[in-house]
Amino acid sequence: MTDHSRDVAVVAVSQTPAYEAFAGPEPVLIMRCVNDLLSRTGLERHDIDFTLAGSCDYLSGAPFAFVSNIDGVGAWPPVYESHVEMDGAWALFEAWIRLQLGDIDVALVIGSGRSSPGNNREIFSLQGDPYLAAPLGLDPASLAGIQARSLLDAKIATEADFAAVVERSWKAAADNPNAMVRRSDTADQLLDQPYYAAPLRAHDVAPVADGAAALLLVAGDRARELCERPAWIQGIEHRIESHHPGYRDLTDSPSTRSAAEKVGGSGTFDVAELMITHSHEEIIVRHALGLGDDTVVNPSGGPLGGHPVMATGLVRVIEVASRIADGSAQRGLAHASSGACLQQNLICVLQGDD
Amino acid sequence: MARPCAVIGTGQTDYRKKLDLTLDGLVRWAAIEALEDAGLTFADIDAIVIGKAPDALEGVVMPELSLADALGAVGKPIHRVHTAGSVGAATAITGTTMVESGRYDRVLVVCYEKQSEGNATWALSGGKSGGQGAGGTFAPWIRSYIERSGAPEDIGWKVAVKDRQNALRNPHAHLRIQDISIEKVRDSPMLWDPLHFLESCPSSDGAAAIVLASEDVARKSPGKPAWVIAHAKRTEFGQFPGRDAVRPQAGVDCSAALYKEAGITDPLGQIDCAEIYVPFSWYEPMWLEGLLLTPINEGWHMTDNGDTEITGSFPVNPSGGVLSSNPIGASGLIRCLEAANQVRERAGDYQVDGARVALGHAYGGAAQYFAMWIVSSDLQPTYR
Amino acid sequence: MGLLAYRRMLPDVDLLLEYPYTRTTGPVLGQFLTGLRDGQLLGIRNGDEVLCPPLEYDPTTAQALDPLLVEVATEGTVQSWSWVTDPTSTHPFDHPFAFALVLLDGTDHAMAHAVDAGSIDEMSTGMRVAIQFHEERTGSITDFHFVPLDRAHAVDIVEGAEPVTTIVQLISLNYHEPLHAHRARFAQGLLDGRFIGQRSPASGKVYVPGRGYDPLERVEMGEDDELTVTDRGTVTSFTVITPVDYYGQKETKPYIRASILLDGSDSPLISVDIRNLEEEDIRVGLRLQAIWRPEGERDLTGIDNRSVPLEGVIERWDPTGEPDADANKLREFTQ
Repeated sequence: MTDHSRDVAVVAVSQTPAYEAFAGPEPVLIMRCVNDLLSRTGLERHDIDFTLAGSCDYLSGAPFAFVSNIDGVGAWPPVYESHVEMDGAWALFEAWIRLQLGDIDVALVIGSGRSSPGNNREIFSLQGDPYLAAPLGLDPASLAGIQARSLLDAKIATEADFAAVVERSWKAAADNPNAMVRRSDTADQLLDQPYYAAPLRAHDVAPVADGAAALLLVAGDRARELCERPAWIQGIEHRIESHHPGYRDLTDSPSTRSAAEKVGGSGTFDVAELMITHSHEEIIVRHALGLGDDTVVNPSGGPLGGHPVMATGLVRVIEVASRIADGSAQRGLAHASSGACLQQNLICVLQGDD
Repeated sequence: MARPCAVIGTGQTDYRKKLDLTLDGLVRWAAIEALEDAGLTFADIDAIVIGKAPDALEGVVMPELSLADALGAVGKPIHRVHTAGSVGAATAITGTTMVESGRYDRVLVVCYEKQSEGNATWALSGGKSGGQGAGGTFAPWIRSYIERSGAPEDIGWKVAVKDRQNALRNPHAHLRIQDISIEKVRDSPMLWDPLHFLESCPSSDGAAAIVLASEDVARKSPGKPAWVIAHAKRTEFGQFPGRDAVRPQAGVDCSAALYKEAGITDPLGQIDCAEIYVPFSWYEPMWLEGLLLTPINEGWHMTDNGDTEITGSFPVNPSGGVLSSNPIGASGLIRCLEAANQVRERAGDYQVDGARVALGHAYGGAAQYFAMWIVSSDLQPTYR
Repeated sequence: MGLLAYRRMLPDVDLLLEYPYTRTTGPVLGQFLTGLRDGQLLGIRNGDEVLCPPLEYDPTTAQALDPLLVEVATEGTVQSWSWVTDPTSTHPFDHPFAFALVLLDGTDHAMAHAVDAGSIDEMSTGMRVAIQFHEERTGSITDFHFVPLDRAHAVDIVEGAEPVTTIVQLISLNYHEPLHAHRARFAQGLLDGRFIGQRSPASGKVYVPGRGYDPLERVEMGEDDELTVTDRGTVTSFTVITPVDYYGQKETKPYIRASILLDGSDSPLISVDIRNLEEEDIRVGLRLQAIWRPEGERDLTGIDNRSVPLEGVIERWDPTGEPDADANKLREFTQ
């Protein structure tokens, strides 16, 4: 499909820091990103043809919470926009699809959320089947623990491997001004910590944060005009697996693999940003993607360094696009995920001009 | 570049309260019916898009996750749209762009709401006491419209009667009031002055589904395709200094963009019938104006003259509309679906004679989200 | 005054989002849940496989399954598990327990459920477990849990009369956050008997209450942009609400909700509760004066970062007796 696609690139990116608790309204987080993007590109609000945002009403406990988020975008005069109740990475997917139609060139993509008022573990247990799982309070961390143990039982990984993922992620996060975690524990120190959702420890679970992220997606020559080194989207696709863990091989992520195959996700990548919200998932996703040692994984620290829920997936794309923009990478892969145990996965492959 | 897209299958559940189905069963009813209409099975589908209003209406967070298996989505993309009340039409449009992009040949679009599981007024109030409901939001604007236009008070009653009479022809409709009359509407309790109980939409359970296809697939489908000629969406703030909530500019801009894309220069003459999102009676004349079908303050004359009746010059909501069935998240898709069925000659007892070009419309939030499409029996319609 | 000083005087926002969702169970799950209530575990056939819990369709192909359920063994094997060290209020136990995938004997796919094993040391992959029905059963997935095989004990089974067709899931979520700084200053103003607005440095528009930003120009606003506006204004729109009954609704009688444009403001206060006027007394253009509750009796219960109930601080809105404002000039404030 890459053969027939219209050339579309990420030309500018913006993200707020991952805040433990942002003391202001969500539209302000969005507004900061949007204003930043406009000032970086010299575009005006009316130059944006289409806007797509991803957020989750339940995070702040207000049905229709997404409605006020448009305040941060600007919607007067009226604008052409839409909203997905999904991570911003899926907003990027839909925006990319929309630009393929050829009649418009510039799309604004946003992901945002304020998790600090609520209890994510309880909120996201409501993602479970409402008859068989949610009444039990079966939550994503516990399901992640079940998945992590299936890796241990299958001798695919050890708890030390989980700790190593965290150690490396935190080390990388130390250099990321937008990361939330500022710690440098060694894997051995981490293994001394108590269990949280055994075999996972608290540090194996990405710390939720408030934050927003946004990018400008531009087609063809407009992209080259606006950016010295656009990050061209070679492909973007997503796939879902069964909702019921008993029907899945939890040690693998066939939906990740299949989405990557669809977008030409083989070959080598200089960088990969993976939406690892529980440390063991990195082992599964790396394997599904066939990533080798020549690919730098989560140089930003990834979600384990700060997880602005509903923006986290889009931040992965942003981190890859920035490395292509600054020339430190030529080809990169971004991964986003939704649901417990990596139920749904999105892959976006980005590439710079030769 | 955009390639043609057509509706080749439609499916609807009955719209009632407390349908004895799981959410899975609910969406499958509509989806399987749409697939059968299109001569396809779940295995043939390339991608699924689901839409619904806030997750809190059923208390299921990101239901695409728990409904993926039910909709045959395993191993495929499933995408979720949420744009308040306009979501059904917005979801149809997202599905359409997926086909138009050249990326997918067969897309299943499913929207639903099971209002009986929760409570919409509770959700609208953010879970607090004193919720004014959607009617409480819209009633002041309706009053303002009546004052500006000088419309007589029975216009709202006439819309309520017309849509309920149409609903008697629609086997899926929720409200089936055999003895509906002007007197009955007028004498029903006042809920949000000036809106009476019978001028308001019911709260319904239900799901609707359509199968969208590329031209190649559509040409081979067993039924008549409804070609998507144009679609448009516009949004504005819900509240800001300078806003005219009675005639939201986003709706006006959306209509203008829609007609431009469709090549329509005289919408009233060139569109044969319309399914317009009218959850409260007075929104029929208000949207006739907002859709640029009549001059400002004159929309009510069409209602008054009977033009919007099923046998009138511009039938509006021949299916009975939102006033007769309102599974919120599906209601916008139902408008788009019914418009498609009119041009597919699949509208049964409420078929508008000779309908070739039809409009599907939805709005949401504080009358701030608009999503619309034009469908036709011809891929390149020649307008009168 | 800094934010910390306000926080000492003003309550944080505590929101309880709670609703008892009533779910119809449909033909397959209805049978399954009826079985649980009656102390029986049922599965469904899918070709050569048996699925428990039963599903209405094959999860891989979405093909419908014959809704004829079969009895399934109540013993099984743990395939994987996670230990919950600190249970939350939504978990089935208030002491540590395991969530596990359990493959029931004779079935082909594991079910996810809770195992009450007492200690993490009792848990292992491959361990044998059995279903422990609860004494009180309503027809819910929570009517049982798993225990290590040798710990299951029999309970009295009395079959219920009617099949289970609905379940009720009480969802109760707590949200807690401080008032945003601009909200805290607005709230403090109310306690002091005045309305504080924010004037946009970009558009010049005055917002009451301020939102901390001007959406028209996408600029943030802070304390420097704040001013006091008068407590007198004009009705720009209104409705009379007949309360709809719903979970948590306390209103029973019709009452007026109006939008009031305070003099000097560009954004009306919306959904203002007015109880001292009758329907025939209110109209667009009517001039009103806020009558504040006595200092010390002003109550901000219900204020949060989205809505501002004024009833606790304003006793009533009295007509000023001035001539009505021109309704035509209020068109853009019909909000």
